[in-house]
Amino acid sequence: MDVAKEKELREAELLVEKNVLITNVDKLLNWARGHSFWPVTFGLACCAIEMMATGGPRYDLARFGWEVFRASPRQADVMIVAGTCTRKMAPLLRRVYDQMPEPKWVIAMGSCANAGGPFADSYSMITGVDKVVPVDVYIPGCPPRPESLIYGLMQLQYKVNNPGKVRLAKHGK
Amino acid sequence: MANNEVLRKRVETLAARVNGELEESLGTLILKVKASHITETLTAAKNFEDTPCDFLHDLAGMDHNDHFEVVYQLCSLYGPQKLRVKAVVDRENPVIDSATSIWGGANFLEREAYDMFGIQFKGHPNLKRIYLWDDFVGFPMRKDYVTESPEVRNTVRVRREDD
Amino acid sequence: MSVERTEELLLNMGPQHPSMHGVFRMVVHLEGEVVTKLDPKIGYLHRGMEKLAEGRTYPQFIPYTDRLDYLASPHNNFAYVLAVEKLMGVEIPERAEYLRIIFAELARIASHLVFIASAALDIAGWTGWGYAFRDRERILDLFEMTAGSRLTVNAMRIGGMSIEPPAEFWPALKSFLDDLPEMLEEYYGIYFGNEITMGRLKSVGILTPQMIQDLSITGPSLRASGIKYDVRRAEPYSIYDRFDFDIPVLHGCDSYDRNLIRLEEIKESAKILRQAVRDIPEGPIMAKVPKLIKPPAGEVYHRVENPKGELGFYIVSDGSTKPVRMRIRSGSFINLQVLDEICRGWKIQDVIAIFATLDAVLGEVDK
Repeated sequence: MDVAKEKELREAELLVEKNVLITNVDKLLNWARGHSFWPVTFGLACCAIEMMATGGPRYDLARFGWEVFRASPRQADVMIVAGTCTRKMAPLLRRVYDQMPEPKWVIAMGSCANAGGPFADSYSMITGVDKVVPVDVYIPGCPPRPESLIYGLMQLQYKVNNPGKVRLAKHGK
Repeated sequence: MANNEVLRKRVETLAARVNGELEESLGTLILKVKASHITETLTAAKNFEDTPCDFLHDLAGMDHNDHFEVVYQLCSLYGPQKLRVKAVVDRENPVIDSATSIWGGANFLEREAYDMFGIQFKGHPNLKRIYLWDDFVGFPMRKDYVTESPEVRNTVRVRREDD
Repeated sequence: MSVERTEELLLNMGPQHPSMHGVFRMVVHLEGEVVTKLDPKIGYLHRGMEKLAEGRTYPQFIPYTDRLDYLASPHNNFAYVLAVEKLMGVEIPERAEYLRIIFAELARIASHLVFIASAALDIAGWTGWGYAFRDRERILDLFEMTAGSRLTVNAMRIGGMSIEPPAEFWPALKSFLDDLPEMLEEYYGIYFGNEITMGRLKSVGILTPQMIQDLSITGPSLRASGIKYDVRRAEPYSIYDRFDFDIPVLHGCDSYDRNLIRLEEIKESAKILRQAVRDIPEGPIMAKVPKLIKPPAGEVYHRVENPKGELGFYIVSDGSTKPVRMRIRSGSFINLQVLDEICRGWKIQDVIAIFATLDAVLGEVDK
């Protein structure tokens, strides 16, 4: 379960798609996927509160089509890891990820999920969830503002719509 | 204040009985005893006349480099009295009587002290690790514990079947 | 011929589940649908703050305290800086004291609003959740105006406050306080006065005063069982002795009263805020403290009335810039011990409702 190898394989798969013509049906499917993400609730710590606030009345996630937070991973397609993932929690994170059906994406929200955050040198921390699951979008912040989360989800939307671009070097490009 | 003086007198009599040392720091009385006398000390403090220190506020372990200490913070819901009791525990063989027979609220706190320092509490109903997983090696809050390198920490642990 | 028998069912309500209290895991022993024993398993968010504190200087630890009870983070900062200042013997300027109390009481209101939202959500009242979160956004706006951060506000320093609220802060705070009674009426109508809430929560999960004394329960649950004890009155810290406020007490000992007491506490906090806004003097906001904070050798134990329990800091220092031992006594951790006793004999849906009323936030439980 070498996560770096898994990410390489995924990117290779997407590169193959880049060299093959993408048909209108595929374009339609990708558009539909991007506009109706169903996140699985994986709020761990403080970033979870900001995720809930983003779903709340002021910064509304429902207007983008993403309000359906499914509790069961078998019905979800995005996993937003919001919060600190400790060594005790890591195998459970992997298990929930494995239970999600394809196609699936992972967003690492907050600095603890990106790289361990302020607790990176603690005895009970892993330095970022990309050591456990392959991550598609990293959202920095501690905690990131709701607008940042919405921007991150829109970047994921862009990535889903353009499967040939495996790594976005600049914002939206 | 009258309450303070009554408390001080009681603590002094108790200290004489259990061979403890009495100090004062920033307005709080501190009673230092050996680990073997701790049950007697805590029961007596809980049953002081006029100023019973009957609410266990906190139980913490502490690592001085040559011995451990278990620090109990006592106060009361019905009066302003407060007392700090420190029990000196041997470092090679850290065993002390559990306070769960006196206060049920010591349950989680003693499990935490065991998890972090390795202090054994005799008579605790369920002395297992509480914060870290059962297979964790070492006691993190000890001064001689070395945090593992990121490579070791990033390997995802294998869960036991009965976790 | 088959023989029927009943078996005990072990249900694992795992660390990832829809109830939004964080990574908390319970192993529930069930006889049919009735709970016979409940075993909480925590530690999935254990970040090792006490060990990290031994490697950080005193001012560097202030942002870590934000992440303990992340729903009321200014209050945690307050507890920590008070403990260090008690050890150092520093005098705080008047304006900083008033500003700190304003932030702490706003944090208390914000935390109780999240409590109302999550309690409503746990019995499937999505409307209550939306209303409470909308009103909480106004408090987060106030925090953001001053310190730049909505959730983990880091505005207090050892010796005073780090930053002065801008001119727009005061009218916004006044308008929030004016709108507060109407908001509380709305919550009463949607959630507290609702027949379903009363039916699900009245007489469910009794917490007697003997259990409180034995299991060291603190916080609003104490006051919902008839014991009139609040650290702000018993051992006043900062300038709480100048304010005129009551300690609400209810005698029901059940889940409904544990819910209602927080509504009463919001009203008392609003009283304190109005008095603070009226009486705040002009002046500096930071005392003269040395650049390198080196408290004298000694130890201190200081506790405050956090919205969720009592937060205590036991700091042992040896005269250097880093503490020797930083012990965090968190209210939610100790309050969680009562969950086993209080849930026995109730059904699974009551377990969720009772756990919501205990108001444990996992950042504080797991440190």
